[in-house]
Amino acid sequence: MSKPAILIYDLGGCEGCPLSIMRVYPQLINIANVYTKCLGKVDLDREYDYAVVTGPICINSPEHVEELKKIRKNSRVLIAYGSCASVGGIILYARGGQEPRPEHRVYAPISRVVRVDYAIPGCPPAPQMLISLLNCIRRGKGYFLDLFRAVALNPKLSGFDLMDEVVLNGLCVGCGACVLSCPTNALQMIDNRPDLIPEKCIRCGTCTVRCPRFSQILIQRSRLLQKASSLSRISGV
Amino acid sequence: MAYQPVVIDPENPLGYYTGIYLAQTADERVKRKLGPDYKGGGAVTSILLYLVEHGVVDAVVVARRKKGLYGETIIAKTPEEILEATGPKWSIVPYTLGLREKLTSMDVGRVAFVGLPCQAQFLRQVKMFPLMESDFSKKIYLIISLFCMGTFAVESFLNYIKKSYHVSPDEIENISINGDELVVKHVRGEIRIPIRDALFHLQHGCLTCPDYTGLFADLSAGKALKPGFTLLITRTKLADKIVREASNTGYLKLSEPDEESLRIVIEKAREKIMRSYKYLSTVL
Ligand code: SF4
Ligand code: SF4
Ligand code: SF4
Repeated sequence: MSKPAILIYDLGGCEGCPLSIMRVYPQLINIANVYTKCLGKVDLDREYDYAVVTGPICINSPEHVEELKKIRKNSRVLIAYGSCASVGGIILYARGGQEPRPEHRVYAPISRVVRVDYAIPGCPPAPQMLISLLNCIRRGKGYFLDLFRAVALNPKLSGFDLMDEVVLNGLCVGCGACVLSCPTNALQMIDNRPDLIPEKCIRCGTCTVRCPRFSQILIQRSRLLQKASSLSRISGV
Repeated sequence: MAYQPVVIDPENPLGYYTGIYLAQTADERVKRKLGPDYKGGGAVTSILLYLVEHGVVDAVVVARRKKGLYGETIIAKTPEEILEATGPKWSIVPYTLGLREKLTSMDVGRVAFVGLPCQAQFLRQVKMFPLMESDFSKKIYLIISLFCMGTFAVESFLNYIKKSYHVSPDEIENISINGDELVVKHVRGEIRIPIRDALFHLQHGCLTCPDYTGLFADLSAGKALKPGFTLLITRTKLADKIVREASNTGYLKLSEPDEESLRIVIEKAREKIMRSYKYLSTVL
């Protein structure tokens, strides 16, 4: 079997995600033909089996928006990798005008602009994540795959949503998964329930996919959405 | 990776597994600790003892009952600490920041975790899909899940006991299940509460939880029908090897599962999936 072609493409941001991916290049080149700036080959005009996009999309930048659309068109599976690309992340707080850059004001997760197949939060995800994910996509099923597909339909997930949807909704069971998953210790257990320290939340979304309740809600909602969209296709709406 | 993706399906409620065993502790220390009238397993404790005493893992993370319904999570490295944590738990013991700090700083390589299905799901995700460098993914060696139909909303349950039976939380010494009753031992005697009544005090989040046996674990364990026996479900080669070794080295006695125990576990697992569908549809 020939190796799949994979494009790794960075749209900007702190470079944490590209660096994390770089650390698995040695493993990655064994399972795929890797196209990326760092290895000196990028070609947005050819077709790819997978495209892994890191960093947020800047809505004020027409070139980047066009690039992203082209990547979508040319790849079979598009993966939004890392918090900025998948759920917004800390870049949502960028106001523009800071010295020396950024000049732009509106950063968004890429699913606001194009259809995304899988979205992976994490600021940045640990290197091994990408390899696990590709293996999992190849096998084509499972709870976690459903989950990352569901995240692709949610361009906004953070500790605030965890509080709203799970904790304040009375669905939290107090397992502590979210607390252990937060990179900034923005969540703490008080009387067996997590509490959010808003100033500490970088909106990375990690807690939401680690929560057994939230992950289940996300998957279920994505199924309903899919059903609704196929119904509307049938009825021609 | 040998790990099978989890699909939650009422048609196949036990998920993927490699073996099912009926197990009984063969370890005198565990038997002594459980006492003559304890009806539950002890098989999990025996497996943990095997893991630590044979150097398979450096430590195990288990919940220990602190007082009444409350518990705490501990990192046990010695047989004494493991024995200390034996016995049923009635509430979920949250993973806390302290646990992560200890796990990352402690000089332990391989750790076995014992938790509830929801916690097993979390650990499996951490292990397979590390979203942070600081995740302790590499230390998770074995995930053991206990069967779970739901855990109590502790305050609500304690308040109910106080109001209806006039026993205050400090007076409660032990709680056990006998048939379809909860037996609450307290300083002045004991009370028996029909499980049906107690179910009102389950956590709401547990009603939407679809996982009874711990589909994400390497090894699932829960009470079998026969008193003193534990049903073990192994889901990975590693778990299978460990269970057999624990038996070969005299920690466990294994036998074929009886049909009735199997039927009940399948029925409960399916019931929990159906319950979760019902409640989930109300919270979307
Ligand atoms: S609470 Fe923590 S894990 Fe959750 S989104 Fe905020 S920073 Fe990320
Ligand atoms: S992960 Fe979800 S259920 Fe668990 S403590 Fe956090 S909010 Fe509650
Ligand atoms: S019912 Fe589910 S969510 Fe509740 S404690 Fe058990 S495993 Fe966790």
